[in-house]
Amino acid sequence: MSDLIQDFFHTDWQAMTRADWTGLAIVLVLTVLMIALYAWVFRPSNKQKFEQYRDFVNDEQEEERREVEHGQTR
Amino acid sequence: MAENVSSEGQRYNFTIVKWFSICAVIYLVVGALVGDIIAWQLAFPSLNLNEYLSFGRLRPLHTNAVIFAFGGCTLMATAFYVVQRTCGVPLWSDKLAWFTFWGWNAIIVGAVVSFPMGWTSGKEYAELEWPFDIAIAIVWLSYMGNFIMTLAHRKSSHIYVANWFFLGMMIMITYLHVVNSLAIPVTMTKSYSIFSGVHDAMIQWWWGHNAVGFFLTAGFLGIMYYFIPKQANLPIYSYRLSVLHFWALMFGYVWLGAHHLQYTALPDWAGSLGAAVSIAMIIPSWGGAVNGLMTLSGAWHKLRDDYVLRFLVVSLAFYAMSTFEGPVMSLKTVNALSHYTDWTIGHVHSGALGWVVMVSVGAIYHLLTRLWGREIYSVSLVNTHFWIHTIGTVIYICAMWVSGIMQGLMWRATDDYGNLSYTFAETVVAMHPYYVLRSVGGLLVLAGGLIMLYNVVMTIRYGRPQTASAQH
Repeated sequence: MSDLIQDFFHTDWQAMTRADWTGLAIVLVLTVLMIALYAWVFRPSNKQKFEQYRDFVNDEQEEERREVEHGQTR
Repeated sequence: MAENVSSEGQRYNFTIVKWFSICAVIYLVVGALVGDIIAWQLAFPSLNLNEYLSFGRLRPLHTNAVIFAFGGCTLMATAFYVVQRTCGVPLWSDKLAWFTFWGWNAIIVGAVVSFPMGWTSGKEYAELEWPFDIAIAIVWLSYMGNFIMTLAHRKSSHIYVANWFFLGMMIMITYLHVVNSLAIPVTMTKSYSIFSGVHDAMIQWWWGHNAVGFFLTAGFLGIMYYFIPKQANLPIYSYRLSVLHFWALMFGYVWLGAHHLQYTALPDWAGSLGAAVSIAMIIPSWGGAVNGLMTLSGAWHKLRDDYVLRFLVVSLAFYAMSTFEGPVMSLKTVNALSHYTDWTIGHVHSGALGWVVMVSVGAIYHLLTRLWGREIYSVSLVNTHFWIHTIGTVIYICAMWVSGIMQGLMWRATDDYGNLSYTFAETVVAMHPYYVLRSVGGLLVLAGGLIMLYNVVMTIRYGRPQTASAQH
């Protein structure tokens, strides 16, 4: 079984071309960004920051109030 | 109409939204009609009357009519509507919006002429020849430019998540279309791709799958995130989930194209990567579907008599189903059976008819009452449309699932000596009943489209005026 797993994950690093390394780097960067995104979105202290917009499309008065409170009304 | 005016007293441009909406309904009928004609042609080949109306020439007309004419007009109508409503400002440029409208429709007319003539680049979902490709890029940039500039002039600081989905779709489609369409023109009606061999195949499916992933998914998720909470008059279940849904979709979808090329000259690892990311995409896709469905949490009774909401909610069930089925089909073991069979056609139509058409139809019925300030002419016809479309879709996809799996099993069946058990012609004969069934399903979808067109026309002409409060 361990041979099977070893064989499955075996990589010939010497055979890696520039395109392979570029692809690998992009995959790793995107993976880190995705993990950071999950952590940022689901961090409990950020909950209100996102969820205040839940009813954005229905509550136009609330929208006005929210903008004024943030001092961002244009 | 009250809704034509923003809180600052500026007039929204809803006329352009109206025209795109009407065009979308007409193109739904045309696309479904051509689709059903070619379905009958597959069941009864004698219906291929001449070269101009043969399956090979009408098939790209069908796919382009439903994806780019119906889907495109729906996306343009809803994006222009949502960006104005959520930003509290009118469109940045009315002239540019009308340029987009006439340009897009001129390209559609060009497709109606050029495909029956046999002018095609041969690239799936990008069959139009190079002059049209250039025109598409220009018109698409006008659409995106107007959308971005409207966002830039918004009154509110927050950009609502639906706009993120629309904008993501516009940016991705721009570069997907430009790269996939790079070609050497030979004459005005013929060009050859600058890519060749396996590179050409990879670029083709990088575009092909992302036409599904961005044009037919991200854009329509923008519709979902605005119209479901609006129609239900409820807050979205989780805004955090919608943010996660957006970024995961943008990061993930572009990698999937390679799963269309399993067991080909494409390097094995590329196909495996495509399949692995496809499986990973189930998480955000289902997260988004759950987000839409849970918006109705505690208010499911609304579905009892709100037929427009039914379209929107049932579309999410199909979205969840097809975004699970697709990744499973991308796995090499399943792909070995499913690829090149009708199972793929069934999968595509569960997404197209179940997800894209139903969410679009729900949004257009919603817009109909708001834009014209009228009650829907016949609510019972909306209900009839819902059931006839749902039944037609289920018949279609079930017929193709059975036909496809049977086809795959017959192709691979061998006797004790390793000889093929069936000839190709025998598999075609076995599929015939399912081809007829598929055509009947398509006929129901077409009938639903005609009912909708009638209801839309009658609402605009004879619908009862709405009260001011109902317009919001």
